[in-house]
Amino acid sequence: MAGGKTGSALSPALQKLAALPILATVATKRADASVQLNPVWFELKGGFIWLNSNTSRAWPKNLQRDPEVTMLLVDPKVPDRYAQIHGRLVSLIPDPQHEFIDHLAERYTGRKFRDLEPDEHRVTLKIQPVKVTGALI
Amino acid sequence: MAVELSPKMQGFTEEVFPAIIGTSRKDGSVEVVPVWFEQKDGAFWINGGKNRGWFKHLQRDPRITLLLIDPKQMFRWAQVEGRMVNWAEDPGGDHINHLSHRYLKTDYQGPRTGRIKIQIEPVRVTGSIDGRG
Repeated sequence: MAGGKTGSALSPALQKLAALPILATVATKRADASVQLNPVWFELKGGFIWLNSNTSRAWPKNLQRDPEVTMLLVDPKVPDRYAQIHGRLVSLIPDPQHEFIDHLAERYTGRKFRDLEPDEHRVTLKIQPVKVTGALI
Repeated sequence: MAVELSPKMQGFTEEVFPAIIGTSRKDGSVEVVPVWFEQKDGAFWINGGKNRGWFKHLQRDPRITLLLIDPKQMFRWAQVEGRMVNWAEDPGGDHINHLSHRYLKTDYQGPRTGRIKIQIEPVRVTGSIDGRG
């Protein structure tokens, strides 16, 4: 990847955008190397990006096989302003009491997350940002 | 093999928001960027400068994934797995100007030369619009 900023120090402009309750797009690789894109809730905290998912979903499984991840944040007011964050999954943390997904739901909806389905297991994904490119770095 | 878009998906693709596209770099990492698009006769069309990373990636590996999200209602989304089946020069920038009118209702203000348009055939659609995936 040419250009861009390397390291975990994210710019003030990017931190400001990440503080808004906007969706991020998470890109993972399937086993056949095709690209999977999903909209996700996220939180930027302590220099890491934090996500949460149901363990039966495809994208967290993709990440366990291949920890490289790309995320896109787009300024909702100016679509030309975006940040593409290349990162790496550094840990997978079970969320059995669904505390973190409740926290994310509060950030996005102002309410706790819905009741979990009988066989639903939540997991928190900790992502280390490695490189940022785009019009908002 | 291409799939036909459902009537609901056809309606969704007529709404005006950028698509987010994912392509694979040579080193296997993924590039993700927002682009203007239109859907016509069941195919997706995007436009860009010939030097864009995603165009280079698609010439090596024609697989491309598009994510469409309604910016006002984030639970309305679709993921389209597709394949570049064709590309052509956009001499004079007629196609980018057409997209500019779709998005901005005005003539395209950027460079009109050195551009290409790309045709993407949908292979699989998932997400909330069709109630799948």
